[in-house]
Amino acid sequence: MVDAAPILRMVSLTKQFGRLVAVNDVTLDIQEGEFFTIVGPSGSGKTTLLRMLGGLEKPTAGDIYLRDERVNQVPANRRPTCMVFQSLALFNHKTVGQNIEFSLKMRGESRRARRERGLSLMNVVQLPEDYYDKSVTKCSGGERQRVALARALASDPDILFFDEPLSAIDYRLRKLLEVELKDLHRTTGKTFVYITHSLEEAMVMSDRIGIMQEGRLIQIGSPNEIYLRPRNKFVSEFMGEVNTLAVQAGADGGIDCPAFERRFTSPARPDGFANGYLVIRPESMRFLNDPSEAENHIEGSLFNEYALGSRVQYHVSAGGSMFVVEKLREQAYRGSLNDDVLIGWDAKDSVLVTD
Amino acid sequence: MESKRWVIWLIAVWTGVIALFLYIPIFSVITSSFGKSRYFRFPVKAWSDKWYDQTLGANLTTDLHLTSFYVAGCVALIAVVLGFFGALAFARYNWRGRQFYQRLIMLPIFFPQAVLGLALLLWFTYVGVLPSWEAAVFAHLVWIVPIVTLVISIQVYGFDAAQEEAAYDLGASRWQAFREVTLPALAPGLFSGALFAFLLSWGNFPLSTFTTGADSTVTEWLYTKMGSGYTPMIPTMGALSVFGAIVILFGGYMFLIVQRRRRLERGD
Repeated sequence: MVDAAPILRMVSLTKQFGRLVAVNDVTLDIQEGEFFTIVGPSGSGKTTLLRMLGGLEKPTAGDIYLRDERVNQVPANRRPTCMVFQSLALFNHKTVGQNIEFSLKMRGESRRARRERGLSLMNVVQLPEDYYDKSVTKCSGGERQRVALARALASDPDILFFDEPLSAIDYRLRKLLEVELKDLHRTTGKTFVYITHSLEEAMVMSDRIGIMQEGRLIQIGSPNEIYLRPRNKFVSEFMGEVNTLAVQAGADGGIDCPAFERRFTSPARPDGFANGYLVIRPESMRFLNDPSEAENHIEGSLFNEYALGSRVQYHVSAGGSMFVVEKLREQAYRGSLNDDVLIGWDAKDSVLVTD
Repeated sequence: MESKRWVIWLIAVWTGVIALFLYIPIFSVITSSFGKSRYFRFPVKAWSDKWYDQTLGANLTTDLHLTSFYVAGCVALIAVVLGFFGALAFARYNWRGRQFYQRLIMLPIFFPQAVLGLALLLWFTYVGVLPSWEAAVFAHLVWIVPIVTLVISIQVYGFDAAQEEAAYDLGASRWQAFREVTLPALAPGLFSGALFAFLLSWGNFPLSTFTTGADSTVTEWLYTKMGSGYTPMIPTMGALSVFGAIVILFGGYMFLIVQRRRRLERGD
């Protein structure tokens, strides 16, 4: 891939509502054709950021460039971008066809041209053709998603913004739509900027992910980078259940864990690391028969086990805290609850993070 | 099974009794308009259509209905426009002082109408407005606009404001978004608001009696006649209103059906 000029640039973008700083000094380049996802908990400012990019909110400070043109003051209806809203914001008094063709009607295109484009878009998002005259209020949740997608695609925008459109959808359908959305990104070749509070959802779909916390973009990277090298405790815990141990840098390159009064072997240390957390993913934890089987070990007792389909998760209580171990079903631990167990890991499977 | 049938039977009787209580008075008015007698009688013994001849033949009838129609028509039109913007301020936008506004707008509804009518008459005299049906329109508006505002507000509360944003985002101007999205989405509320306004104005007596001056609405005439000398033209006028309403409702329904059929044909 050629590194062309980014399609969308944010420079020190800031938005304040009264005293509240919703978006704080965000600088980010988004490449043409990229699927970029901004992930953060509710209240992290991700929706405000997206609304500024779409032109629905004006920045307090900083700049937005669309293909090198400053668009801070350009209103939403003059930007070549389109948004899929969280509520979808379908026009309930209109039919599926009228919803999809709305932007074309605003442009003054003929009825026939609109219908032709509308039907071809319905084909793209896999809506049956006879839905054209159906009222959107009579569509199911998944069908409404497809209508919203087709409506956003109709004006052939340069960038599509998504404001958590899948958050209100049940699990199975959401998984299906995630895959469809990623496929749609491939077939259309458009730039997608997506926001969600679910890192899992972001992992499935994105080329790159940006993590937001309290208005700041704290880490940007590929799903792999974020997964393997979280920058801080917030990012590492945001990814789901992990084991974190409060540690300090010890002598001879090891790390000391006061809670267990033990020295562990250390993965690569961030520059100037003094104290922070050792993060070990549940799937990197192993049950040991003998301490020598892993670089580090902890003694505990098996508290409970949970079948997760293809995997089994175990909670092991040790030193007053609970550790999570996850194994494939075929490698399940053969024993019973309250067994004394040894769990361990190697330094290469752990990460050091700061607060 | 046994008890279920019993319950259904009870519900049927209850519904029947309520319907009877509601409709017997109206029914009795209509039958007595077809009576021969000079007095209000139920049940009617001798039938005649002479009161209809008299009522329909009188210029008075036309004048009264025209006045009522002008007043109610103007009130409905102005009340819906004011009520629409009032409802947007009431339910759509968040602004400093909104709560105060929401309370303030309710006050005229709770004010006794007879007193309100007198107060308005005094006020009209003070500013030099002569009592007439036009003055009555303003008097009605004072009381009806708040009600219409509330009726439309209910529709506004159910409107997802993101739809407007979506319209802008899809390239619509403010005006296009209003015409294509906001207005059609709120249309059912505007329709019921207009209907409320028209009916409340049509049936209003206390405000009209103080403010119409030399003009007289149907309602005013009915009240006056009942006080000063009953004539069977009173039930006849009432019955005519009912027939008129039936014709309008049925006609409107037919119109909607024809429209829908035409739209479907155009769609194919």
